[in-house]
Amino acid sequence: MLSNIIETAFHLIFTLDKDLIEIISLSLKVTMSALLISVLISIPFGSFLVLYRNKFQSFVILVSNTLMGMPPVVLGLIIYTLVSKRGIFGFLDILYTPSAMILAQTLLITPIVVSLTYEEIYKKHKDYYLFLNSLNLSNFSKLRTLIYECRYALITVTLTGFGRASAEVGAVMIVGGNINHFTRVMTTAIAFETSKGSIELAVALGLILIMISFIITLLIKSLRKIK
Amino acid sequence: MSILPIKIDNFSYAIGDSKILRNINIDSKEKKITIIAGNNGSGKTTLLKAMHGLIEDPSNSISWANNSIKTIKELQSMVFQNPILLNRTTFENILYVANKKKTNEKNYVNKIIEKLNIKDIANIDARYLSGGEKQKVAIAMSIIGNPKIIFLDEPTSQLDPVYKHEIESIISSLAENDTKIFMTSHDISQIKRIGEEIIFLDKGRIIFNGKVKEFLNEKTNKVIRNYISYG
Repeated sequence: MLSNIIETAFHLIFTLDKDLIEIISLSLKVTMSALLISVLISIPFGSFLVLYRNKFQSFVILVSNTLMGMPPVVLGLIIYTLVSKRGIFGFLDILYTPSAMILAQTLLITPIVVSLTYEEIYKKHKDYYLFLNSLNLSNFSKLRTLIYECRYALITVTLTGFGRASAEVGAVMIVGGNINHFTRVMTTAIAFETSKGSIELAVALGLILIMISFIITLLIKSLRKIK
Repeated sequence: MSILPIKIDNFSYAIGDSKILRNINIDSKEKKITIIAGNNGSGKTTLLKAMHGLIEDPSNSISWANNSIKTIKELQSMVFQNPILLNRTTFENILYVANKKKTNEKNYVNKIIEKLNIKDIANIDARYLSGGEKQKVAIAMSIIGNPKIIFLDEPTSQLDPVYKHEIESIISSLAENDTKIFMTSHDISQIKRIGEEIIFLDKGRIIFNGKVKEFLNEKTNKVIRNYISYG
């Protein structure tokens, strides 16, 4: 039976099954959008926190570190209450749309990217602060230099964020609703297809997820070597 | 802009309860090389950092020809004991500083590379350079934009005699070209070879400030006597 399931799963992958491709492309679209938004906010913000160190900064890092471990379903629930018709952002009308899923994934990975960026930039700043101060650089100039010097580490951070977002199921299920041909992504599809006993598509998607995870791990490993 | 005399008026510096520098007074008009010497933990590096503006001077005790450090900072540079280089090639490291000092012509960078005789390592990543090579690159970076003052924190302490000689020659030629050098050193023979003036610190206080020749003939102070005889 298992061999039949795997055979069908590979058949779906190699014949580029329409449903499978649709789910994968929506998953990538949602995750990549969330990642882009998060990285554009988090990398400058995490670096900024290193240079402008005060009590506020320590508090922000504490909050960010705490949010790193936030259960996705809880985050999904919070976003649901905010963007549902009766919520304060109900007027946006984004519940059960890919936009809500992007919002959920963005909020989920932003603390991770902020905290990891802070760690990397902090380490580099410790090495370079005398040199950068000696050159009498503006904080903006220091920031640019530190981000550039941490470029490989920050790509690793970005890949970590991608891995976390692409594996997410709880929050996107709540705010996306897992609607066929509209908000169904790989993780929610796996959960749904398994629950209705249509295991072949779930296995095919699972294999794709494992492959993505494998590629990310390989990339992180090779970047660590460069670093 | 004139940079001398440097005046330090009763400057003290502490970290918590630990006093690193105590009532430092300096009035130096001499160009050329001033050595800052003293036993380990005497405050040499801290004094260099203070003069370079890397340590807060809230009471404005330090001035360069009546200019504050902030005004004069562009005319200074510093080479650290453990050279701090970016994770780039030698050429890119020098170009980075040239960029920041707005002298970013590649020809200019190439001239500096030739002057310091580091053409062979120009395209090598700084992480893979030896200690002496790193020190030379750091010195190359420090002379970008022709600073009037260069601070060198034990620039030859980890080097073999050949590299030490090469770096001393570079330092001497900089001083001959009107760059004021402040350099910390433990090496008595080096102090004899290249030093003009010497500031000797003991437990954060200056106990000698004068010519190197006078310092070497100092007989009364036990700390200095020991330093010279064991050096």
